[in-house]
Amino acid sequence: MNLSTWLQQQEKNGHQAYYTFAFIDEGAKREIRRKTLKAIAIPGYQVPFGSRDMPIARGWGTGGLQLTLALIGPEDILKVIDQGADDSVNAVNIKKFVSQVTGVRLTNQVQEATLIQTRHRIPEEPLREGQILVFQVPIPEPLRAVEPSERETRRMHGEADYSRMWLHLYENIVQFKEIMIGSRYPVMVHNRFMMDPSPIPRWDNPRLHMAEGLYLFGAGREKRIYAVPPYTSVKSIEFEDYKFRVEDFGGVACSRCGRTNTFLNEIIDDESGKRTFICSDTAFCSKL
Amino acid sequence: MVKPVLRAVGLTKRHGNGCSRCYELTGPLFDRNVCPDCHSVVACHNISFELFPQEVLGIVGESGSGKSTVIQLLNFNLEADGGELYADIPNGNQSKLFGQNLEGKNLFSLNSFRKRQLRNFIIGVVHQHPHLGLRMNVSAGGNIAERLLMAEWRHVGRMRERSAELLKKTEVPIDRMDEPPRNFSGGMQQRVQIAKALSNEPMLLLLDEVTSGLDVSVQARVLDLIRNLQHDLKVTTIVVSHDLGVIRMLTSRTMVMKNGQIVESGLTDQILEDPQHPYTQLLVTSALS
Repeated sequence: MNLSTWLQQQEKNGHQAYYTFAFIDEGAKREIRRKTLKAIAIPGYQVPFGSRDMPIARGWGTGGLQLTLALIGPEDILKVIDQGADDSVNAVNIKKFVSQVTGVRLTNQVQEATLIQTRHRIPEEPLREGQILVFQVPIPEPLRAVEPSERETRRMHGEADYSRMWLHLYENIVQFKEIMIGSRYPVMVHNRFMMDPSPIPRWDNPRLHMAEGLYLFGAGREKRIYAVPPYTSVKSIEFEDYKFRVEDFGGVACSRCGRTNTFLNEIIDDESGKRTFICSDTAFCSKL
Repeated sequence: MVKPVLRAVGLTKRHGNGCSRCYELTGPLFDRNVCPDCHSVVACHNISFELFPQEVLGIVGESGSGKSTVIQLLNFNLEADGGELYADIPNGNQSKLFGQNLEGKNLFSLNSFRKRQLRNFIIGVVHQHPHLGLRMNVSAGGNIAERLLMAEWRHVGRMRERSAELLKKTEVPIDRMDEPPRNFSGGMQQRVQIAKALSNEPMLLLLDEVTSGLDVSVQARVLDLIRNLQHDLKVTTIVVSHDLGVIRMLTSRTMVMKNGQIVESGLTDQILEDPQHPYTQLLVTSALS
């Protein structure tokens, strides 16, 4: 089904279209697609774009939402997750909104979805070719923590001068005997650009490397788009004697599905104070 | 014949809009470096010199004479308005620059990435104020490691070994390696800065008024240290100072600068014992002895 047949169908069913398909105007969509193509062409490079006003506030996923709306077509199948969960408030609201302005089918299944918008997690199941994962990014600049000036960080990217971030890791090791970055662990994309992988846990970092699907990152407040194309090298930065490592759950199993090889959330019962662990990726947890 | 490691031809730096008469109307002849027509400042003009392997060259002059500008041009901190710079980089160091052959190439015409590589791999600089060369909130060891990281070291253990070795050489207590330099005294900060500049074995060391902010006894120790390092490492050095004592102690050849131009140059002993230019004579006679 193409766009015009979709519109005809809507009219036939008596729905009057108050918005263009997928809410944002065609000019904005074209701009975002153009910037996305540029981002894919230069893996890890932050491309500025004209971030539009959205019906949700900036900082609540507008970057991801704009990417989703610019890319979605009537035949896409959408999945939205918020920290791994399909049914948390942010995910549900975005899903409702997108389905209202496009009428696309929604799903919780990774394999079924063609487009997945996510906040701070990569699904446990690997993406296959043709699938797109859209990240919501609060701070696109990986060097922001070590250098407040945008002008300076751009120069650093231009000259591939990442010694400040390395120094940050070195100081961590001197002070704490290990690298103390929890989420947003910086990665090198295609051995050229240092990239912020958005606040995903370190657990998800290895899944950026040589992935089959396309990863797109949108920062609405900071007005940046960047991308990791399929089959691109993405390495978490590490020293020869202090390696990058993912979170260690000490062999605890999910209390719901019993798996031991997933990223777990720790849940403390308010009354009994008992600790339980449960998969962060709810769709994967429910799958037998 | 020995080939110079560094050859500067007509280095010029002007601050301001500039006009066609800036260079004609400034200099030691007029005793000014501000152009009377357009009020641009000619920081340095037509500075040419050659620097030979293992040589220590001094640049002396009063404040505002353009000494530091020359250093900043050589360190690529400032963009030159005129002049050329050539370097003869030994083969061992060339591999660090991704095998790029810089022979006969004007270094000022390189792009900023290449210039930064030169700065990271070839040049070490020590500033007058430690806070210009050091990160005061990062540990002393980290400061040294920063330069090693720029030169693509990626092994924490080895970097710490190298830092400790350098701090030992510069007489900084090693048990204070993980303390930030803001806790240190001025002399100690300066020694950390020297260690940092030496960390990746630079081909060229630039010392910009290194002892000016220190009291005399500490000055003497830092000078002693530099002289010993000179003796051990044999690194080619440019020493900038307004202090003739420093120049006498460290350098073999000297250039005297005034109002942005060189007024006299030659062997240090010769210049200090038998100054030719009136300004140099004034400088030598006004030195406390």
